[in-house]
Amino acid sequence: MTSPLIDIRGLEKQFDLSGSFLEQVSFKGGRFQRKQEAVHAINGVDLQVHKGEALCVVGESGCGKSTVARTVMGLLSPTAGEVHYDGQRIDNLKGREVLPYRRKMQMIFQNPYASLNPRMTIQQTLEEPIRFHRPDLARKEVRDKVQEVMQSVGIDPDWGSRFGHEFSGGQRQRIAIARALAVDPEFIVADEPISALDVSIQAQVLNLLMDAQDTRNLTYLFITHDLAVVEHFGTRVAVMYLGRVCELADTKTLFAEPRHPYTQALLSAIPRLEDDRPNYIKLQGEVPTPVNLPSGCVFHGRCPYANERCRQEVPRLIATDSGTRVACHAVEEGRL
Amino acid sequence: MKKTPLLEVKDLDVRFAVRGGDLTALRGISFSLDKGERLGLVGESGAGKSVAAFSILNLVARPGYIAGGQILFEGRDLAAMSERELRKIRGNRIAMIFQDPMMTLNPVLSIGTQMVEAIKAHRRISTKAARDIALDRLRKVQIPSPEKRLDQYPHELSGGMRQRVIIAVALLLDPEIIIADEPTTALDVTIQAEIMALLLELCEQDNVALMLITHDLGVVSQVTQRMLVMYSGRIIEQGPTREIINDAQHPYTQGLINALPQMGEPGARLFQIPGSMPSLKNVPTGCPFHPRCRFATDQCRQTMPEYVRSGNVDVACYEVSNLIEQEKHMQEAGS
Repeated sequence: MTSPLIDIRGLEKQFDLSGSFLEQVSFKGGRFQRKQEAVHAINGVDLQVHKGEALCVVGESGCGKSTVARTVMGLLSPTAGEVHYDGQRIDNLKGREVLPYRRKMQMIFQNPYASLNPRMTIQQTLEEPIRFHRPDLARKEVRDKVQEVMQSVGIDPDWGSRFGHEFSGGQRQRIAIARALAVDPEFIVADEPISALDVSIQAQVLNLLMDAQDTRNLTYLFITHDLAVVEHFGTRVAVMYLGRVCELADTKTLFAEPRHPYTQALLSAIPRLEDDRPNYIKLQGEVPTPVNLPSGCVFHGRCPYANERCRQEVPRLIATDSGTRVACHAVEEGRL
Repeated sequence: MKKTPLLEVKDLDVRFAVRGGDLTALRGISFSLDKGERLGLVGESGAGKSVAAFSILNLVARPGYIAGGQILFEGRDLAAMSERELRKIRGNRIAMIFQDPMMTLNPVLSIGTQMVEAIKAHRRISTKAARDIALDRLRKVQIPSPEKRLDQYPHELSGGMRQRVIIAVALLLDPEIIIADEPTTALDVTIQAEIMALLLELCEQDNVALMLITHDLGVVSQVTQRMLVMYSGRIIEQGPTREIINDAQHPYTQGLINALPQMGEPGARLFQIPGSMPSLKNVPTGCPFHPRCRFATDQCRQTMPEYVRSGNVDVACYEVSNLIEQEKHMQEAGS
């Protein structure tokens, strides 16, 4: 098997909640105490993204999927673990060393109302990354490049002198995609790129992303909470819960045969057109806070199959016969 | 004789008075809701579904106003009612659930205080009795340890819990109708499924009519019996939910359904409707959908189509009415 384009190894990310030293210290019961708290956003994630595929990361709010995306892009530095791009470790690069990777890896954000600079025309927005990453190009070449990407995302190149606010949400997202494509990236991280859009516009943007993948040979890391989109778009799916990957499988296999109890519940909750009534697996309780992680399997408190081992031992991702990798003691022991 | 529906909206027009003239937000909206019936209101942003919901309780904020039509609730016109009379109906006979629970709940009052206040605004009962009603409703929406919740503040609850509280508030005075405006859009899928199932169960239990506003066709098909599809301030198709989902007549409804990822072959291109919904400032002439429609003719560009009936579904589309005409001719020629 060829080496993966992106290799995430043992990734952990914590966000400190407790502030400076003085804020941590308190005086209680006659003695000083120092208390440190952190949000455990990612707790040991290993993922590989292979060339040409679209790896979808799904999960509910707070599961750490966006943190994974941002850490891969280098927007956040990991607390522990490594990120490799095409065999080269990139999470510890400094200064100018990062630049080539900034060009090869681009990001599309959820909210096209926030991700475009309101004071720049579309032409400026699209020229800026090209000028920065390709200083060798002449003015004319830059303009040609902008024309080309605008056409490829279905925005009339004559609109270059307009500002972001003159466009609808769907058009803005097209422009954001054009900006990502302008520097000829190899790898695109898309963080909920269609969640803010209407249904008919979602289809347009999804088609655009798929076309771009075909014509430009792109690799995607696609973050979403919408499982119907995953089923359509993804090559493989990673399901996350409380900062851990609980199931990793080919899209088809995952939807045909979900193994992890959480994946099963998540899939059952998609409202389907053919349903006459809500028809879903009910989970007990709510997602625990990532400040105090549950011991053992992070899902044990809500899992109908949890036993003593689940409460104590953290399950590892283990391959099953169907090729699915599941982190669940019950699956491993054949109880499920 | 046909029995009168619980709520009947007739030819409702809502406009927004802005500089440079009125913008028409709703045009000729007519529909009815029977006791205990569940009706879905579907459309994309800007279609006017929330304005429709707000105008039923005469809650359209200025510069919006009801420019024409009637909203008959048990035979009385809400559009012509005084503010005082309306207040007796709002929250009491017709309750509303909004998308964002934090918009409905007061952050500085405990849940119990807010619930008691709502009851006492409509009924002359003791605080103790009101608290008992509040407690009962919290039990009904299956909130764990409801006694404790009464003394908690909104920020102490999770998003799903807050939406349950909102449903409990809506149920306080045993309303006949609940209008729910995107009640689960802000929630995660698993929570959404729970809240929807709960809402459906409660409505069925007490025979409460539900008007559910959503952009999610999956939710509509799970919860409602009839549905309206809105586009650019008009109802373009209405009828039994199952019939529309299985065999939509209007090209827009068809497009909306076919554009769903779950309808496409995995990995293949999705069906897409070109363009986007027109803004209120420049609604196209004739059928508002014609610039995006693959069947559009000159007739569509010039005049708005009337409703025609196909099966049990009312559709406003020339393509559909022409097809029905053709079929009629064929049958006549055949016989």
